[in-house]
Amino acid sequence: MENKSIWKKITSSREVSLLIVLVILCALITIKTPSFLEWANISEILKNNATTMIMALGMLLVLLIGGIDISIGSTLAFSGMTIGIMYKYNHLSSTLLGFLIASGIGIACGLVIGLIIAYGKVSPIICTLGTMYVYRGFAYLVANDEWAGADALGTFKDFALKDFLGINSAVWITIICYVVFFIVMKWTKFGRNIYAVGSNEEAAEISGINVRLVKTCVYTIMGGLSGLTGALMTCVYASAQPNMATGKEMDVIAACVIGGVSMTGGRGSVAGALIGALILSVISKALPLVGIDALAQNTVKGIIIIAVIILNVVTQRMMDKAALEKREM
Amino acid sequence: MAGKSGRTIANTIDQPWKKVVLSWEGVLVLLFIAINILCVCISPVYNVENLLRESPKYLAEMLLLFPMAYLLILGEIDISVGSIVCLAATMACMASNAGVPFIGVVLISILTGVVCGAFNGFVTVKFRELPTMIITLGTQIVFRGIAEIALGSGGSISLTDSSGFKMLNGKVGIFPYSFFLIIICAIVFTVIADRKNYGRKLYAIGSNAKTAYYSGIKVKQTIFIAFVVIGLFAGLSGLFLTSTAYGANTTTGKNFEMDAIAMAVFGGVSNMGGKGKLYGAFVSAFTIICLRIGLGQINVNSQVILIILGMLLICAVLLPNIAGMISAKKKTAK
Amino acid sequence: MKKKLLSGLLCAAMVGSLFVGCGSSSDSAPADDGAAADTSAPAADSGEAETTTGGGAAGTYALVPKSAGNPFNEKEADGFTAAIEAMGGTAVVQYPESATADAQITVIQSLISQGVDSICVAANDENALQAVLEEAMDAGIKVCSVDSSVNKDSRAVHCNQAGVDEIGLALIDAVYDISGGEGQFAILSATSQATNQNAWIDSMKSYMESDSKYADLELVEVAYGDDESQKSTDQTQALLQKYPDLKVICSPTTVGIAAAAKVLQDQGSSVKLTGLGLPSEMAAYIGDGDDYSCPYMFLWNPIDLGALGAYTSVALVNGDITGAAGDTFSCELGDYTVVDAADGGTEIILGAPFKFDPSNIDEWKEVY
Repeated sequence: MENKSIWKKITSSREVSLLIVLVILCALITIKTPSFLEWANISEILKNNATTMIMALGMLLVLLIGGIDISIGSTLAFSGMTIGIMYKYNHLSSTLLGFLIASGIGIACGLVIGLIIAYGKVSPIICTLGTMYVYRGFAYLVANDEWAGADALGTFKDFALKDFLGINSAVWITIICYVVFFIVMKWTKFGRNIYAVGSNEEAAEISGINVRLVKTCVYTIMGGLSGLTGALMTCVYASAQPNMATGKEMDVIAACVIGGVSMTGGRGSVAGALIGALILSVISKALPLVGIDALAQNTVKGIIIIAVIILNVVTQRMMDKAALEKREM
Repeated sequence: MAGKSGRTIANTIDQPWKKVVLSWEGVLVLLFIAINILCVCISPVYNVENLLRESPKYLAEMLLLFPMAYLLILGEIDISVGSIVCLAATMACMASNAGVPFIGVVLISILTGVVCGAFNGFVTVKFRELPTMIITLGTQIVFRGIAEIALGSGGSISLTDSSGFKMLNGKVGIFPYSFFLIIICAIVFTVIADRKNYGRKLYAIGSNAKTAYYSGIKVKQTIFIAFVVIGLFAGLSGLFLTSTAYGANTTTGKNFEMDAIAMAVFGGVSNMGGKGKLYGAFVSAFTIICLRIGLGQINVNSQVILIILGMLLICAVLLPNIAGMISAKKKTAK
Repeated sequence: MKKKLLSGLLCAAMVGSLFVGCGSSSDSAPADDGAAADTSAPAADSGEAETTTGGGAAGTYALVPKSAGNPFNEKEADGFTAAIEAMGGTAVVQYPESATADAQITVIQSLISQGVDSICVAANDENALQAVLEEAMDAGIKVCSVDSSVNKDSRAVHCNQAGVDEIGLALIDAVYDISGGEGQFAILSATSQATNQNAWIDSMKSYMESDSKYADLELVEVAYGDDESQKSTDQTQALLQKYPDLKVICSPTTVGIAAAAKVLQDQGSSVKLTGLGLPSEMAAYIGDGDDYSCPYMFLWNPIDLGALGAYTSVALVNGDITGAAGDTFSCELGDYTVVDAADGGTEIILGAPFKFDPSNIDEWKEVY
């Protein structure tokens, strides 16, 4: 009896089943490399993947309303590169201001996307395919074939070195973002509106939700988070390059989908996005550690992604079947 | 009403002649002419000879356009084609270097494409809950990954005997062979989409997969075939690409998927499924190619070219929408 | 009816515009100044190579770097442009849209259309440019490569920043010196197919095999950071974790060395770093003592490298050299001789790699 209820609990929650995947993954890696679960290593994983984890939050909202944004890598590069160049030529010295400006650029980029999609009725993938080229081009133009290196960034880069209560400041930003989003998505009207729009746009419209406004807000938030991570990435790696984060959008989308966020909208949770991002982070960290040949790492990564998303579907089917049986009983 | 493209400039025009000009395809043709005139004005070396000489890489890309348009009409997407091109080109080069006769090399390349496409199709129909975007995102990494493993630490392979591929790269007059292949493909794909049973199934599934299923259309089969076809053409594209580079490397065919999707969408094919005309995609592809070549010839910064293309893509969809909204407002005001 | 009309219109438009294109081309000169696109400029009328007085150049000379947005390539292009313009020629620098051979093919095709006099290319793939460069040579364009070579059939000559073996020796000696002559070291490279990096690593390995001096050094792994900051960081951390006894990391690539330097310095690791990096990117990490991760590193002057590419292009166009071994020419940088290269072609070598250490880094970080 006892056993059955635990099993039921596992199969009834996608997040729990994903957590099990994560734990198994970590256990396998730890057997091979015992130092994997040391705090220093975990801290490194969290710090290096703060960008993916934060952007996964924005992507969660975008996917929830049935949209997609493939220009986030470009937005990140544009904002990160802009503040990088500003630090380099001493237009900027304050760390806080750097984050604010980068987020501001991101918000502006996201707002444009949001307006085009919500009010211009352009399909999200087309719009962001366009802005992907445009913002990336801007990043190159701003950079003007220069990088902002460690020397140019001055004290800005020190931010990612500071610890607060034993936890790195970049990780703190991630934690704060997740707490805020968890609260917003769970207990605020705005959060529920997003789910409503994603589940059924027409119904949401009729029930008095300003669908266009919600959509615009979501893309603006996504842009703002991309901008923030642009600053964070520049800070963590002490380097801004116009081609940074190329293809990052696919990692972020994969993280969300692995975390059980539906690409057709309406289904997904902050916890899911977190676990999805963690699984992906652990994979990319572990591949070189466990001694997989450098040339085969991409293939293995791709296979794991496909395997996990298929596993997702299988558990979902089992859940549906269980629910159906229950009803029949 | 403008065919099935769904994109019209204004909905209230009555004369049929104006309908044609104001349909998206009509606008595209005008745009194509305008861009050619522009290119002639800005670039002194912009002529048909140079255009065709610079085109083989773009033509290889265009091979993917029509099957990609089919997938988009179905409401699906395939972002792994660039990787399939890479893998097919790699296999072709390896086979050729191992002494396989050229016809065998062609078959191996196409077969590689078909197998990859079939895999995508299989996973898609087996797990219908999964969006194809995420499936092909995974296979995108895997297919190119396999090519990376096959190519080894050099990451690049060159043909020891390129005679067969040189033949493939041949020309009739100034027209490369692939140009004729594109024309034939354009006709065949358009006829199938507009006149044949399979084409009607495409549009039906794209508009509403459930209705299509209940009206007796084999949805899974239709989708599977579309994936196999795009795999096949990715294999062909890999062959033609190899013939322009005498080899393959791990970056072969990079970004082909995005270029092909952009061409199709610019041509009025909707990625929401069920809408779009192939001749629109055909004209839009040549419009984009001409613009790229023209701007390239006056040495515009390649990133600026991408900015222009990106803006063009957004405007192409945005402006008709805005025009439609304004005319709709006028109508209600009356 | 509608469809017929449309297709008719379509065909007419295509044919029409193509003819317009043809028509206009017949009255324009075969070669033109691409950068300005100003057809009225008389300077654009370059045509054949005009062998003027020593080192003079009046034509259009093109450089195709590896990728945009990289300061190394930018400085190389600056050097190229300055040298060409000092000689009175027109320089065209056209970056490919991404760091792939495919994108370079597109750019070179465009340059052939423009009828430039020479093309100097830093290849992203050794072999993939052969078809298009042969086409260029058939069209009478002189082709040379710089920085990263194309294969011997697709170039007249290659401008090498430094001999492969010289770089390999400098790197392995640096590892030997920093590690104290024994212990484990690892290499953090760019991508697995990077031609230059692979050649240098192979050269390091062959020195280790042939010279017993390096017998106590152990190369534990060659990792690839794909020239991405994040992946390079992950790989560096993995190396540190996997090999606790690691003494030195050698990273012969600008992105990799900067990422590795940051990891080592932040952790205060005892592992030291050397390799090839840009002074402006690495200035914060180069120094003596435990606070700095990199005691010294190497590179060559990208400005001079670009300039050498320019002088070589002009010499080829003017007929001063043909690219055969034994040819000599002189330019602002000095006298150069074409020598046989390891791949069976010929090359011109700029000089020995330059060592950046705490004594000179502050001076050079301002330059590039």
